[in-house]
Amino acid sequence: MDSFSSPASSIGSSDPRQISPEQFQNLVQSQFAQAYAQEFLETIRDKCFKSCISKPGSSLSGSESSCVSRCVDRYIEATGIISKALMQRPH
Amino acid sequence: MSNAASNPELQRILMQEEEKRMVNQVVSALTSQCWDKCITSTPGNKFSSGESACLTNCAHRFLDVTVLIMKRFQSMN
Repeated sequence: MDSFSSPASSIGSSDPRQISPEQFQNLVQSQFAQAYAQEFLETIRDKCFKSCISKPGSSLSGSESSCVSRCVDRYIEATGIISKALMQRPH
Repeated sequence: MSNAASNPELQRILMQEEEKRMVNQVVSALTSQCWDKCITSTPGNKFSSGESACLTNCAHRFLDVTVLIMKRFQSMN
């Protein structure tokens, strides 16, 4: 939230016609970053819920929560692998 | 942000950021699809070599399919 509100408020305090390119870039970047983070979080939640909670019990078990932690780490790692692979030439 | 449309400098910044966003979107969408195809058991402390190879292959085959479909469309006209 903070990354989103700080550039916006700094722009709000000045004349919107006087927005500097740097301010504009910060604003666009923080808005895109926030949207991306939101989507990323939701995707990871859905994937890890599916992978780790096969039969929901009365509370989250220790093994389920450790599965979720591992799943989050692996999903972030998978994103890196896919990103790297897309930049390479396919073989 | 009415001046963003008329200021070429701001327009350039917007297009540049939009392009980065689109790249990130492709990576996100593909990661989701490849995760479903490649990670079939509960996630471990590290990927097996089979899992990481599957993810890399998945991204490469996606590029192949993209090229193939582009060629297919080009041959239609």
